[in-house]
Amino acid sequence: MNAVIETRGLTKTYGSVRALDGLDLTIPKGGVYGVLGPNGAGKSTLFRILLGLIRATDGTASVMGGGVGDVGAMRRMGSMIETPRFPPFMTARQVLRWLALEHGVGGETDIPYWLERVGLTQAADRKVRGFSVGMMQRLGVAAALMSRPELVILDEPTSGMDPPGIQEMRALIRSLATEDGVTVVLASHQLLEVQRVCDRVAILNKGKLVREGAVGELTAIGERLRLVGTPIEKVLGALSVTATRDGDAVLADIKRSEGPALIRALVEQGVDIHEARWVGTDLEAIFFTETGSVQTPEADHAG
Amino acid sequence: MLADAIRAENFRLLKNRTTLLWSTVFVPVMGLIFGAVGIFVMKASEAKITSDTKMPPQVLELMSSTPINVVESIAENAGKLDNPALLLFVLIGAATIYAGDYRWETWRLISARNSRANLLLGKLAVTAMLALAAMGLMLVGGLFETLIRASVFTRPLTFGLTGELFGQFLSGFGLSWLRIVQFTMMGMLAAVVTRSLLVALFVPLVVGVAQFFTPQILAPMGVMPDAWLSVLLNPGAAMDALKLVVIQPEGAPPLPDGMLLKSVLSMTLWTLVPLAGALAWFNRQDLSKE
Repeated sequence: MNAVIETRGLTKTYGSVRALDGLDLTIPKGGVYGVLGPNGAGKSTLFRILLGLIRATDGTASVMGGGVGDVGAMRRMGSMIETPRFPPFMTARQVLRWLALEHGVGGETDIPYWLERVGLTQAADRKVRGFSVGMMQRLGVAAALMSRPELVILDEPTSGMDPPGIQEMRALIRSLATEDGVTVVLASHQLLEVQRVCDRVAILNKGKLVREGAVGELTAIGERLRLVGTPIEKVLGALSVTATRDGDAVLADIKRSEGPALIRALVEQGVDIHEARWVGTDLEAIFFTETGSVQTPEADHAG
Repeated sequence: MLADAIRAENFRLLKNRTTLLWSTVFVPVMGLIFGAVGIFVMKASEAKITSDTKMPPQVLELMSSTPINVVESIAENAGKLDNPALLLFVLIGAATIYAGDYRWETWRLISARNSRANLLLGKLAVTAMLALAAMGLMLVGGLFETLIRASVFTRPLTFGLTGELFGQFLSGFGLSWLRIVQFTMMGMLAAVVTRSLLVALFVPLVVGVAQFFTPQILAPMGVMPDAWLSVLLNPGAAMDALKLVVIQPEGAPPLPDGMLLKSVLSMTLWTLVPLAGALAWFNRQDLSKE
C-alpha cells in the first residue's frame, strides 16, 4: 500500500521528557485516518515534526514520499494545527489570497469556492480579528484545503464549533476522502466523531503507538449478542453456545454471521425473545483500555 | 519559490496599512510640513535674518535669489536619506515584517509551504522594498519643499542634469539604502532570536547609538577613528567614508590610507553577519513555540 506518512523510530525529547518514543507509524494513502491519544501522548508533537515546525531528536519521518522539509512534498499537503491564527488586519478573503501566494498556487478563482465550502461566504470581507473560534477553525480548514492537497492534517478540526458546525465538518471530511480522493489525517478528542468519520485509527500513549487498525475491526473485537428473553433460565438452557448472564440479559459469545441462526433456533424452541442487539467494544473503551484510563461499560451497537 | 515568499510577504504588508503608512509616509509628510513651516517662518523674518552678520552662509543661501538646480537638490538629498528619523520609522515596518509571524502565531500556516530560507529572505526583500519606498517618498517630499522654497523666495528653477549629478544621485541613494537595510538586518537577527517585535525595533536603535559614540569611547584608549577596530565597530563612519569616495563633494579632505578597504570590509561584515546569523538560527528554531 502507498504510504502518505511513514515514521521509523521517531523520537522527540524535551529535556528529560520523551514526547515521542521511537514511534513507528505508517499511514496509508486514501480514506480518513484518526490519531488518538490522551493529552501528552505525542499527537501534536508528531504533527509538528511532520510539518517541519520542530525537528525530531532521532528517527526518520517521510511525508508524501519526501523527507520532512522537502518543500515539493510538503506543498502537496495541507494542514491545520491547533486553533489557527491569522494576521488580525486581514480579511478572510485576503488570508486565503496571502496563503495562496505563499504556496505558489495562482488565481483567485478558488477562494470563493473554499469560502463557501466552509460556510464563510458572508464573512469573507470581515477582518479576522472579529472572528469567533469556530470561524477561525473554518478559515483554517479552508486554508488547509485551498491548494487542493493530496494529504490534509487536521488537529482538532471541530474544536470550538457548535453542533451544526461539527456535523458540517464531519461531512466535509468524509467528502474530501470519498469524492476528492484526499487522504485526511485528523487528531481529535471527540472519540464518537472519530469513530463515525475515520476508516483507521492509531492510538498513541506516552509517545508510543499502542494500537492501530481499521475502526470496524477494532470495535468488532469482543462483540457479543445481548439477548433478553423469557424465561431467562430457559434461554440459558436452550443455548448451545458460551454465554454469561448480564443482569436480566444473556451475552452470547458468537459471531455476527451466526446471530440470525441462533435467534431462529431459540424462537423454534419456544423462547420469547424481547430484545436482541449486538454489544461490543467502541473506540472509547479501546482508548481507555490502551491508555490505562478508567474503563467504561460496554457500549451498544446499532443493529 | 523565493518569488512566492516575496509576493506573499509583499501582499501581506500592503494589507497592513497602519504599518505601511507609518513606515513610509509619516516621515516624508512630516518632513515636508516642517520644512514648509520653516520656509514660511524664514520668509516672515527675512529682513531680520539677512541683516544678521552672524547668520551661517547656508541659511542665507536658502533665501538668496540664485537659481535652484532641482536635479542637484535631489542628488544631494539622496545621500542624506539614511537620517535617523526615516530610519526609525522604516525600522517599525521592518520589525513588523520580521517579528510579525511570531506575534500573530502564523508560522504554522506558512512554514510547510516554503523553505525557511526563502521565508526569511522574502521578508528581507520586502523590507528592502519598503526602505526604497520610504526613501522615494522622502525625495518627493524634498522636491516639493524645494518647489515651495523657490516659490516663496521667488527663486528661478533649473533642471541641469549632468552625468556627474546622476552618478551622485545613484551612489548616494544606493549607499543610503544599503545603510538602512543593514540596520534592518540587525532587527531581523533580533526578531528571530528573541521572537519579539519590540526587541527587533530597539536593538538596531541601541546598536546605532552605540556605534555613533564608538569614536568617543575608543579615543581615550588611543584608538584613532580611522583605525581598524574603530571602523569595524562603526559602520556609520564606514558609510560616511564611502559616500566621500563616490560623491566627492567639493573641498572634502582625502581619505586616510586604507580607509576605503576598512570601510568596505566593515559594511560587508555588518551586512552579512546578521543575515547569516538570522538564517542559521531560524533554520534550527522550534516554531511550535510561537
